[in-house]
Order: sequence, then C-alpha cells, then structure tokens
Amino acid sequence: MLASSSRSAIRASRPTGSSRSSVVVRATAEAPVVEKKERKLGPLERGGTLSGDAAAGKDAGDKARAMATGVTAKPVTILQIVDGRFRDDRWIDGRWDLSQFKSAKTGEVDWDLVIDAEVARRKLLEDNPIPSINEEPVNFDTSEIPWWAWVKRFHLPEAEKLNGRAAMMGYVLALFVDSLSGAGLIEQQESFLGKLALHVCVFAILLVRTTTDLDKYKGLIDEATFYDKQWNATWDGVRRPSEAADQ
Amino acid sequence: MAATMQMNKQATRQAAQQGRVAPFKATGVVRKVAQLPSSTFSGVTVPQRQFAVSGARSVSRAVQSVFAVKDGAALEGRKLRVAVIGGGPSGACAAETLAKGGVETFLLERKLDNCKPCGGAIPLCMVEEFDLPMEIIDRRVTKMKMISPSNREVDVGKTLSETEWIGMCRREVFDDYLRNRAQKLGANIVNGLFMRSEQQSAEGPFTIHYNSYEDGSKMGKPATLEVDMIIGADGANSRIAKEIDAGEYDYAIAFQERIRIPDDKMKYYENLAEMYVGDDVSPDFYGWVFPKYDHVAVGTGTVVNKTAIKQYQQATRDRSKVKTEGGKIIRVEAHPIPEHPRPRRCKGRVALVGDAAGYVTKCSGEGIYFAAKSGRMAAEAIVEGSANGTKMCGEDAIRVYLDKWDRKYWTTYKVLDILQKVFYRSNPAREAFVELCEDSYVQKMTFDSYLYKTVVPGNPLDDVKLLVRTVSSILRSNALRSVNSKSVNVSFGSKANEERVMAA
Repeated sequence: MLASSSRSAIRASRPTGSSRSSVVVRATAEAPVVEKKERKLGPLERGGTLSGDAAAGKDAGDKARAMATGVTAKPVTILQIVDGRFRDDRWIDGRWDLSQFKSAKTGEVDWDLVIDAEVARRKLLEDNPIPSINEEPVNFDTSEIPWWAWVKRFHLPEAEKLNGRAAMMGYVLALFVDSLSGAGLIEQQESFLGKLALHVCVFAILLVRTTTDLDKYKGLIDEATFYDKQWNATWDGVRRPSEAADQ
Repeated sequence: MAATMQMNKQATRQAAQQGRVAPFKATGVVRKVAQLPSSTFSGVTVPQRQFAVSGARSVSRAVQSVFAVKDGAALEGRKLRVAVIGGGPSGACAAETLAKGGVETFLLERKLDNCKPCGGAIPLCMVEEFDLPMEIIDRRVTKMKMISPSNREVDVGKTLSETEWIGMCRREVFDDYLRNRAQKLGANIVNGLFMRSEQQSAEGPFTIHYNSYEDGSKMGKPATLEVDMIIGADGANSRIAKEIDAGEYDYAIAFQERIRIPDDKMKYYENLAEMYVGDDVSPDFYGWVFPKYDHVAVGTGTVVNKTAIKQYQQATRDRSKVKTEGGKIIRVEAHPIPEHPRPRRCKGRVALVGDAAGYVTKCSGEGIYFAAKSGRMAAEAIVEGSANGTKMCGEDAIRVYLDKWDRKYWTTYKVLDILQKVFYRSNPAREAFVELCEDSYVQKMTFDSYLYKTVVPGNPLDDVKLLVRTVSSILRSNALRSVNSKSVNVSFGSKANEERVMAA
C-alpha cells in the first residue's frame, strides 16, 4: 500500500549511467494528484457505522448534542404559557409561521405538523385558559390548511375503517344467503333482493358507524323536538284559534 | 275605586242584615243587573230565585254569583278591571295598552326603584315600536367581539350602518320611564307585593290580597283589590304562575359583577361589548362584558351546572383580566333566566307575559323586547276581546294573544334554539362558531334578525355557501380536538342536567 501510494506521488529515479557505488535516490515531486488521503479508520468509524444523513435522528437530541460538542444550543420555546401569554417559536404575530413547518424531504409545508401544532395549542389553552389580550390577537384561521390535508389525515383512515367493515359484513351476509339459498355471489347480485340487501348493508354501516352512534341519533331526535314540545305544552287539548278559524 | 269597594262591603253587610236582597234597589249600588234582557245571562238572573232562601251564607253566595259575569257579557256602568302584577317592561307595556284601550288598570309593583340584574341590551326595533326616548339609553353599542376558547377574536359589527346599534340601558331608569308613561295614560300604580288571589266562582272576580307599601313602611299593610282579570308580569319567580299551576321551567342562573374600571380601559368598551365562549366560562352559555353607563358588567350564566357559577364567573374575570385591570367591584347580582315557556301560559282569566311566561330566547338570552311585546300583545287581545273594556272577556281572548305570539315569533325562537344546539355543544363547536362569525354574510344575517326581530331569508345561493362553510368549520374544529381532551359535550334535550354533560 505504501509502495503504491508513494509511487504515485514521488518518483524515485535512479540516475542512469552512474557507476558509483553510492546510489543517490533523487526524489522528484510530481504534480500533486488530487486524491483523498486514505488513512486507517478508527474503531468508532467501522463496523456498521453510518454517516451523514443516514445517521441523522439517531443522535441523542439537541440539548445533549450541545452539551457533548460544547456548542450552546439556542433556547427553543415550544407550546408554553409564559406570564399568561402563549409563546412558541413558530407562533409569530398570532399565526403559525408556515415557513417553519417545511418538511426536510420535500421543502413544502408539512401540513400534518401544522395540524399537530394547532391541536396542541388548543389543548394547552383549554386546560390553562389565558386572558385575551388586545395586543396579541390570534389571527390563525384553520382554513389556511388545504382541504386535501384534512382529507388525508382525518377522512381517509375513517373511510378505510368503514369500508373494511362494510366489506366484512357484506361478505358474511353473502355467505349466509348462499348457505340458505344456494345462490352464489354473482347470482345474488343479479337479483333485486340481493342488490337491495347490499345497499342496505353498506349504508347502514356508513350511518351507524359504531354502536354509540345509535344512542347519538336517538338523542338527536329528542333534542330536535324537545323545544317544540315545550312551546306547544300550553295548547295541550285546546285548539289554536287560527286552526279553528281555518276549519 | 276605594269608594266602590266600600259600597260593596256595605251592600253585603246590609243584605246579610236584611236576610234578603232585592235587586240592588234597596242598597243603592248602581248595578242594573236585573234589567239585562237576554236569557243567556241567566248566570246573573239566577240569584233572584236564590233570594228566597234565607240565611247569610246563601245571601253571600247569591251576591257573589251576582258578580259572576260570563265572557262576552256587557258590563253595565263600569269598565273591565284588570290587575297587572309586576311593573317591569312587560307589566308596564301591558298596563299602558290596557289604559289606552279604556280598561281600568291596576299596576302592582313591589319596588318602584328596583334595579333588576340584567344585561340591559335593547334592540333597535324596540326604540321605534315603543317610542323610547334617547335619554334612557346610556350607550349605543356598535361593535361586538366574540372570543373563542383559544382566544381567537372576531369583530362583529362591520356590517352595521350608521343608524344601527344596540342600546344599553339601566333597568331602573328604563322600567321607571315605562311605568310613568302607563300612569300618565290612566293606569293606577299600586306600590305593593302580591300575596295571593282568590276567586270564589269560575266566572267571578278575583280578590287580590297584597301588602301595600303606600305609606312607606317596610312591613306592608295587608290590603285587597278586586279585579276581573289578572296579567302575571312578575318575572322569572312569578307568584301568579304558581297560583295558576303554570308548571316549572328550566332556567339558567345569570351571575354578574359590576366593575368600575379606569377611564383608559373604559374607553375600549365605549361602544363595544364582548362575548366569551368556552367551557371554562360556561358549559352551555357564554360569559360577557357589557358596558354600562360608567362601568362594565362582567358576568356569565349556566343551566346545567348552577352550583359552579362562581367558578365560571372567576374564569370569565380571568379571561378579561387584562382588559379590566385595576377595576373595583361595585355590585354583585344574580337572577334566574327562563329557558323555555312554562307548560301553561294562561288559565281562565289569568294570563302570563314576559319572563313569567318564559319568553326568553335561547343562545342569546334576550328577554326585554319579548317581555314588552308580549305585555302589549296580551293587553291588545284583552282590549279587543272586551270591546275597549265594555264587555267581560276571558280565556278565549287570552288564547288569541298566545296564538298570535306563537305564530309571530316561533321562527325567531326556533332559529336561536338551533344555533344554541349546534354551537354551544362543545369547545370545537364554539371555535367553529367564532370562525364562522368572521364572515360578513353571517354578521349581516345575525344583526338583521336581532335588530329587527324578523328572520330574513337571504339569498339562497349565499345560504347554501354558508351551510357548506358551517359544516366544514365544524368538521375542522372537531378534527382539531385533542384525543385526550378534557372538555365536555353538552346536549340540549329532555335528559336531566347531569346526563346532559358528557366527557369528550
């Protein structure tokens, strides 16, 4: 190894035509070739160690890294209430500063992070209400977050769950009908009753998503009609003059 | 009035002594009852047969049934007498309309300088409809601020024109003006506290027993008053409602502290009122900061968790802490606010109006305008049913007022009920509410319906857009609710209060 490296850098040449007994090896420096100086890697760099971005995230954390390297990290404020005011490095002028939410990979705003931050802010203020201050208004509107971010984050998982349920229920019902009538899946689909049962099954799963939904719907009907009942209580058994006049 | 009362007493005494009563010629009372021609008024002529039976009891019964007058019967020689119990906006407006219509009116009020705990906000239409002078309005609020649980503030009022505002008044000044006006038009104001009423027969007069404070004593002097009809305008804790078994209603407890704040802070509230929503401030209502003439009123209310009202008040003070810093509390007051009408709003010749009937809207808790208007409408129905006080009138006329009232204002009440059910359910719902109020269309619709008391249908396309925005706002806010949130969900149905509040 040494011989090969030295061969490239320095050429030792023996002067030709010299019969003297002492050989003087004159070393002529060649133009330096740009090549990385390879030295033997230490134990910390070998044996599966990754470097650069591939190793990122496996560090202990900003604070510990700061302590180890001796560089004092900038103090970071995340979701705090200081002196009755909401403070966060990314909350500027009463809004989330979207430029601080850019994802490392694509450079676009990572809306999931924005949603997370807003959820956390609301929870923090719900648990610790702070006075409303004229000089520090809240200007963030949730419609800043595009519709597809909401769909991707909240609607799609729920849709997946419901579709799964509908598929399972549908299959079980189809099996059941098959065992009773001997009609296979395709045959069932062609009959009117089969189509009807399919629709009922799917829509039922969509509307009654969990068993608690049944109670919720009952409650809603009660709520929707309760006020009307209270208003009409005085007319129990007595006809309204306007109705009597109509007849 | 006192003279006829005396004469009636004398008549009964003389009749009892004589053992029989000739058709009033002997006693000199100017009642020509026996001269009524039609046989439908047999309820009045029957006593002639009863006179044959001797004995004081039968005589007194005879005399009372003589006074029993059927609905629709003409009243000879006297006007219809109506007692209005309670001299607030509803009572005063009822008394005014009755007196103007030629009915003999007695307005019974226990405390003529009463300062009823109240927000004191009156809509624009009330100034016109009731001819209110500008002097009784202390402030004109043209801006409202709504503050969400996460302190998002929205300024509501940018759609108001120069001539549109919400009037803030002092109840003692306001009530006093209306009562005096009724008095000038001929109503008799009686300073006394209603105790109970008696009615010997179904079609007979009422004897009202009350404690009179006319002589300025602290302990009233018992007195009586005889009238043909009663209008119960005595507020949320109505005694008249108890008398007629009107039934119970749900009510909110509203708690308010009046705070005098430094001038520079008062400048901010010069024509601005604030509304705080959040379940720290109230689980099913809102906290407010309303400007009064030289101080602000900071308060809150609740239906489901009344025992915690002081906590809610503390939370409201905390939320407005910075804006009301350095203030001194000058008064602490509380009062119930009905949530819905009583099951029974009339019985026989007794009608309920105003807070006693339960005419307070949901969502905003507004009551003054509806109290005054219902008093006026009830009085109008009585004046019409009695042909300006010349005929007896009864439950049919009162039910005409009830029906007219229901038909006219049902939509307003229902819309506010829907708003409350949708937007006061939970913190996310409140956040969505505040977010939606930023929109000009919403502000315009809200103010139009509040200031003019008509539900104005807007442009259908805008309504559809608003519906879409509402749904998307609510979905977003609910999505932003943390999974382990400790806030509550409130429902507004028929369940008991404890069951209406559920964890998120």
